[in-house]
Amino acid sequence: MGNRAPRLNRISKIFVSTGISLLVIAGAALATANVVSARTPAEKKEQASPLHPSFPFLDEDGMNVLETGNPVSTMNTCGSCHDSAFIAEHSFHVSVGLNDLSSPGKTVTERPWDISPGFFGTWNPLEYRYLSPQGDKKVDLTTPDWIQLYGLRHVGGGPAMYARDGQLLMDLKYSSTSLETNIVNPETGKLERWDWQESGVVEMNCFLCHTPNPNNDSRANALQNGDFKWANAATLVGSDIISVTGDSYTWNPDAFGDNNEIQPDVLQIQDPTNNNCGSCHGLVHDNIEDPLISLGCTPERWSTITTGQIISSQKMADSGMNLANKDELDRSWDVHAERLLNCVDCHYSINNPLFYQESEESKPDHLIFDPRRVEIGEYLEKPLHQFARGNSAQSQVAPELNDTMRTCESCHTVDSTHEWLPYLDSHLEALTCESCHIPRLYSSGNMVHDWTVLLPGDLPRRECRGAEGDVDSMGALLTGFEPVLIPSPDADGDMRLAPHNLITTWFWIYGDPPRPVLFTDLQAVFFEEGDYHPGIVLRFDDNNDGELSADELVINTDAKEDFVRDRLSLLGLSNPRITGEIQPYSINHDVASADWALEDCTACHGEESRITQSIKLAAVRPGNAQPEFVLGTERDLSGNLTTDENGALYYNPASDIENLYVFGHNKLGWLDWIGLGLFGAVVLGVVTHGGLRFYFASRQKTAEIKTEKIYMYGAYERMWHWLQTGVIILLLLTGLVIHRPDTFGFMDFRNMVLVHNIVATILAVNAILALFYHLASGEIQQYIPHPKGFFDQIFSQAIYYLKGMFKGEHHPFEKTPEKKLNPLQQVTYFGLLNVLLPLQGITGILMWGVQRWPSLAARLGGLPVLAPVHTIVAWLFASFIVLHVYLTTTGHTVVSNLEAMITGWEDTPS
Amino acid sequence: MKLSKFTWLFGAVFIIGLIVIPILVFFPGKEKSISADPWKNVPLKIPHIEHSAIIQGPFETGSDVTRACLECHEEAAQEVMGTVHWTWESQPYNLEGRDSAVTVGKKNSINNFCIGIQGNWPGCTSCHAGYGWEDANFDFSQEELVDCLVCHDNTGTYVKGYAGLPVESVDLEEIAKSVALPTRENCGSCHFKGGGGNAVKHGDLDETLYFPPSNVDIHMGEHDFLCTDCHQTENHNIMGRSISVSLDDANQVYCTDCHKEDLHEDDRINGHVDSVACQSCHIPNAATRDATKMYWDWSTAGSDEIEESLHTYLKIKGSFVYEDNFTPIYLWYNGGVAERYIYGDVIDPEEIVHINYPAGAIKDSTAKIFPFKIHLAKQPYDTVNNILLQPKTVGEGGFWTEFDWDLALQLGSDIVGLNYIGEYDFAETDMYWPTTHMVKAANEALTCDQCHGSEGRMDWEALGYYGDPIEWGGRYQSNSYQP
Repeated sequence: MGNRAPRLNRISKIFVSTGISLLVIAGAALATANVVSARTPAEKKEQASPLHPSFPFLDEDGMNVLETGNPVSTMNTCGSCHDSAFIAEHSFHVSVGLNDLSSPGKTVTERPWDISPGFFGTWNPLEYRYLSPQGDKKVDLTTPDWIQLYGLRHVGGGPAMYARDGQLLMDLKYSSTSLETNIVNPETGKLERWDWQESGVVEMNCFLCHTPNPNNDSRANALQNGDFKWANAATLVGSDIISVTGDSYTWNPDAFGDNNEIQPDVLQIQDPTNNNCGSCHGLVHDNIEDPLISLGCTPERWSTITTGQIISSQKMADSGMNLANKDELDRSWDVHAERLLNCVDCHYSINNPLFYQESEESKPDHLIFDPRRVEIGEYLEKPLHQFARGNSAQSQVAPELNDTMRTCESCHTVDSTHEWLPYLDSHLEALTCESCHIPRLYSSGNMVHDWTVLLPGDLPRRECRGAEGDVDSMGALLTGFEPVLIPSPDADGDMRLAPHNLITTWFWIYGDPPRPVLFTDLQAVFFEEGDYHPGIVLRFDDNNDGELSADELVINTDAKEDFVRDRLSLLGLSNPRITGEIQPYSINHDVASADWALEDCTACHGEESRITQSIKLAAVRPGNAQPEFVLGTERDLSGNLTTDENGALYYNPASDIENLYVFGHNKLGWLDWIGLGLFGAVVLGVVTHGGLRFYFASRQKTAEIKTEKIYMYGAYERMWHWLQTGVIILLLLTGLVIHRPDTFGFMDFRNMVLVHNIVATILAVNAILALFYHLASGEIQQYIPHPKGFFDQIFSQAIYYLKGMFKGEHHPFEKTPEKKLNPLQQVTYFGLLNVLLPLQGITGILMWGVQRWPSLAARLGGLPVLAPVHTIVAWLFASFIVLHVYLTTTGHTVVSNLEAMITGWEDTPS
Repeated sequence: MKLSKFTWLFGAVFIIGLIVIPILVFFPGKEKSISADPWKNVPLKIPHIEHSAIIQGPFETGSDVTRACLECHEEAAQEVMGTVHWTWESQPYNLEGRDSAVTVGKKNSINNFCIGIQGNWPGCTSCHAGYGWEDANFDFSQEELVDCLVCHDNTGTYVKGYAGLPVESVDLEEIAKSVALPTRENCGSCHFKGGGGNAVKHGDLDETLYFPPSNVDIHMGEHDFLCTDCHQTENHNIMGRSISVSLDDANQVYCTDCHKEDLHEDDRINGHVDSVACQSCHIPNAATRDATKMYWDWSTAGSDEIEESLHTYLKIKGSFVYEDNFTPIYLWYNGGVAERYIYGDVIDPEEIVHINYPAGAIKDSTAKIFPFKIHLAKQPYDTVNNILLQPKTVGEGGFWTEFDWDLALQLGSDIVGLNYIGEYDFAETDMYWPTTHMVKAANEALTCDQCHGSEGRMDWEALGYYGDPIEWGGRYQSNSYQP
């Protein structure tokens, strides 16, 4: 005992001291915490509407859900202030094509099984499952199936509430064949009755877009369970408002205030944030501190899957992704996200009085801004839920809203920021801003969805763009990819190049009119009791190891194709065959600021131009099928598909896009060959002639001839001549660089264009002054041949050059200041100065003027005509110079002509 | 008229001119030159004259060395004695709201770390650039008391101890022979250890700056700067100021001494420089690597019950909280001081007492938003007179030996000249430390969303804005705050 007391004492001491120190630390922490909280900004505000009042949750009968325990009706709840019926009727997010149903195959895509231009009725080949047209024998999805499967990316209302004939789904009379009152039994493939009364319908879900943390997983659960009426309430699971156990949902009265209304601090009602939009549309990352992570080639959300676009303000270098050259990627994913723009800043509700802008077409000339607009209150009651948008290749719903969005130019001035870019207007006419400002996607995007085979997990075989290594894992190296430039319509209907991703889908179809092979049939072909069918293993196991690896699960032999086809036929499908389609996906986000935009002229102005840069479509073509572009995209897809030696498929954009002539890239090869040939011939001729002269001259004694100096060329003439010489040589050199920038990669393309233009101006001024001089002084006569005996004179001059010269004969025509040119020269110079020079000048001015008076140039065929003419004349000039220089050596002595042109005084035989 | 043989050359030049001049005229200059060369203002590193042959020992004391230095550098001591490194006291300054000019400085001011040096000289003055300041009678006019070696030792072995005297073990002769321009070690030996240990006081100055990686300090890491490349020195007057010990903004070092204000390529960023100090974006977090003291509670000092640990509790000092890599506090700051506690000022113990407070406001066009470390403390005050007290801590009767607050405060008050009645408690005080070192390059600077938007770090309304200026406009915009 005696020993224990002190020990206890010690223990208690430790306890006390630790306790005190803990208290002290806690106190200190508290004190700092107080200070810290005093200085950290107030709670995260999102975009909460500070005026949104508390409100009761009403059920479908307009009763408070706390009293009835029923699901909340958003139409009634939100509808007590906002005109929810109006909103639902005016929203393509709600209708998703229900209002534009047509008979199968009559949509813009012309797919035989598409029945609307929207999400409800247009096949999504990446998801594969499709809404079956009424009357199909084999049914993939009925309306309830569709809601269960695709409802998680549909906001509710529309087809989740109304039948195709406009009746409420709840009111539909049962019919055993109706695809709206039945659901497909996945086991039997047979239709079974769907009880709409029990499931209820999905109303337009306001919470999904207007609350900060909607629970889409929980909502998807409710949908998949067929608990449609609870789907909207399920969106709030996770908050204090509602809890779920199994299938039963319970409202929590504590979350509601004394008046049984939900309080603003419990449920925040706000403008849609990027996250709200992103939950369906694409990967949004707005957490500053957390590094963004997206694994390999399995990006999460829609636009990110199809294009690799990621909406995040984070610098790529700070992300948690395995990006190639990551350290250098000191740029945000999207400059607009970086600058804190929200999706709705550009994709606003089109009657939002803050953003609404009248179209240029309907606006009268005398107005810049029309201040008469919907009052705020009126807008809040009836906000159109039609959102301003561009015109993307993959979306055909609500085409009337295409290009309602702000364009880049609505916010950005182009002139002041693109001073460095010559021919700005011409560039803007041919290119969208995105072409240069989205030069690359740095993450991965999908390339192929191959549904001709099923991988474990019922997945298609996929190929990826912009990732290397094990593309489905964290270890994949994300190299990114350069989008393909495709002529696309802009708001004015003009075609401009814009970046796209192309995704190819391979799949089996059967019958006529064709339908994709049902997903369940595919499963039946490939799997038997959870494992691959032995026949499949036999045919697909290339290395005979008894296992099917991902590489083997591809239809790359006739044996594989035949076997699958046979099995499909066994299921009663007629004429099963493989087909493929290519869907372009527009890329408008992930915009780069100037620093990261394409600024290198030779990226387009060169042999390997971005304009025609091909894009890989697929590594293999299952069954050697030839895919076709999906119709109705309004894109000019007139390029061609090629297969390389490894069987990989490529799309090569058309090399001669209408009315587009890209200097340095487009050129007529044969024209250059002709020009070069001409040039070569002249050089050869001159060398031969000179050689002969030298040969004969060395064998002949020339008598000493008395000479005298004559003042042949006046100072102005000489200046004019040499200025012209220098300028033309510079023009030829710079022109050559512009024409073939690849050959002269060390020269700066942009500067060459500038020098060419400046020097051309000097040439023009010099030419005009010279013309004036020659006219005023009468020197012009020098160039005008006298008709009398003109041809004889030409002949005698020609014969002199060909014969007499070698014999040491004298020039047939004496050169005097009054008559400096022999008849042959007269003809040549007349042609040169009066035909070639003006022609070159005019074509040049027109080419320069393409951006100033485009219609004028267009009338003459535009650049595709002007440029080749300019090119061939340049070749003629080059050839002439060689000839001309050579002929100057034929004076009294080799250099006497040259001397004369320099000093003015010429030695001539006296 | 016979022209020279070479007359044509004139013609040739004329023609070349006709071609070249228009090209030059119309050729766009290189992209707008974004900044003048910032290296222009960085001093050249001229090799220092080797002193090993010049200096002759032996030296018994530091003052012996100083006398040797003064033989050649006759003016040096007088120069040093004119600076605050020697006086530890500012020039008299008319602080707004006070009747007479005041001086502040380590010599006579209170802080909320070790509180004050008076009566505690020998410990504190180990960082004084002089020898033997052990009591109030130190003779500030004695040239040979100037410590040349603390700044000019290049062996890295010089250590000062009691009252700033070199410790026993240092080899004065070897050190004297090594003298050269100050290195990071010379400055760092005091400035990195302000508050009595590494990183304690400043939050932006600590021993990581001896060999910092580029991402800790771009100038010293990437570009190998010395302290004196920015804190340029003429006649021993070293540029630099901090509102912890100064009242004015004279002799200050600015980023714009070398960098152009509008050097950013992005106009939107350049638009910030009128209202946001460079430091705000380019020092996103303070105390990047080494934790700094954020809170000091003297009231728990003297307890044997609490376990001692360097960064949480010491019996002689009380409880602490340290933080590293923290987000600074942002305030309008024009370089001046709005408040400075002077001994004898009456406090309101219910409120946090500002030992110092930076001057500036949204309506002050010379003020910019600037990052600060705030050091919070609980320190003793006289509960009757409501004045802050300064205890004697070091030496005989000091708190660090006796752990008797009453005695320590009485002794301290007698020395400082405060009227201590005998009743004390602990008041909360804070001190503002501008965060200006450990500058990050552009790629590590703050991005828009780190200040703006729902997750931004700025408390816009506290700064005087109506709301986030990205939506409400900046302080000079018509829809925003109008001065």
